[in-house]
Amino acid sequence: MTEKLSRSTIQPKNPVLNVSRSANLPHVPGIRIGDYLFLSGMGPTDPNTGGRNHGPIGEQVRTTLNNVKHMLESAGSSLERVVKVHVVLADISHMDEMDRVYREFFPVNPPARTAWSMQLRFGNGCEIECLALVD
Amino acid sequence: MREVIAAPLPGLDLRAHYGHYQSPAIRAGGLIFCSGMIPVDPHTGERQHGTLTSEAHVIFGNLKLLLESAGSSLDRLVQVHALIYDSIEYDVLNRVYRQYVANGPPARTVWTAQIEAGFKIQLDVIAAA
Amino acid sequence: MSLQRQVIAPPVPGLDAARSFAQPMSMVVRGGEFLFVSGLTAVDPQTGERIRGTTMSETDRILANLKLLLEAAGSSFDKVVKVNVLVHSMLEAPNMNEVFARVFPEPPPARTVCGARLPDGVKVMIECTALA
Repeated sequence: MTEKLSRSTIQPKNPVLNVSRSANLPHVPGIRIGDYLFLSGMGPTDPNTGGRNHGPIGEQVRTTLNNVKHMLESAGSSLERVVKVHVVLADISHMDEMDRVYREFFPVNPPARTAWSMQLRFGNGCEIECLALVD
Repeated sequence: MREVIAAPLPGLDLRAHYGHYQSPAIRAGGLIFCSGMIPVDPHTGERQHGTLTSEAHVIFGNLKLLLESAGSSLDRLVQVHALIYDSIEYDVLNRVYRQYVANGPPARTVWTAQIEAGFKIQLDVIAAA
Repeated sequence: MSLQRQVIAPPVPGLDAARSFAQPMSMVVRGGEFLFVSGLTAVDPQTGERIRGTTMSETDRILANLKLLLEAAGSSFDKVVKVNVLVHSMLEAPNMNEVFARVFPEPPPARTVCGARLPDGVKVMIECTALA
């Protein structure tokens, strides 16, 4: 039998982005298993206030991806090491606008992605979850 | 290579009971990828519709059986997609969910989706082997 | 040594939906020993045009395209570990399932199916994880 991969919790350096902890939710910001990082879905949480940044979807996507970037970097990874992304939009018609901002964060050799629409909580316009490799 | 994890009890064989063309779980690369878990009786396979809470209890019981039969456990969960039929049940989900992941919960994303057979909850999980 | 990350180009341009629809994603990305395939919709592998049909015919087309993408990456259906299927209506799940049973070899991968709102009126979208 092969050795079991080691499992640990990852935390953002900025505690404001630790929504799991601040909202006392039964999840963690992310799990490192072996050299893979599975991040919990993130939304447009303001990294300074912890409030939700609603407004145009482009700005929500920007806030969310900046949060994802922060989480990855806190865990010894980066946007360039992301392999797979799930983007959920509250409104399917926001796809093009989401793409416009999204491509700024993944300009070269972007990860695999599946994007669709579902009902989201808290009035959020987007939720983004990703899987990355550590550096 | 990949390895098929068979249903530890006959009720968990959704292919036999419902014709779902899937294996209960697949082990590969040190991870266990589970098919979407629905609330069925682990012996008979009968659907156990109820409240989100009661359905979640059935699902977690089945998931525990499945993972432990594969040499893993709920403590080794890595990522969960918690599918619920309506986001209004978010707090209800959390209340029952937290009972099963107290020792170091996994990463999670909640999806509000249409679930088979009108179930209120389904869990899509990856665990460490 | 860190895990390898590699974008795998589709074997024919029509399969590169990211390019056809100007979307910032790669169709297949290798991360370590796994391949991650983006959510696929029914497209003509030669022209890249969207092929609209029933859930069943779209599933058929998607799985045929998936086979080509996997093989170009040195993988195959029997190395697929997990499939996620999004359908526009769960009423269509049995039809989608019928295609899987016809197309995927034994034993099948793990799978989760749910209903969601899909882009551009497509009836089904399929993503998967496979061993490289």
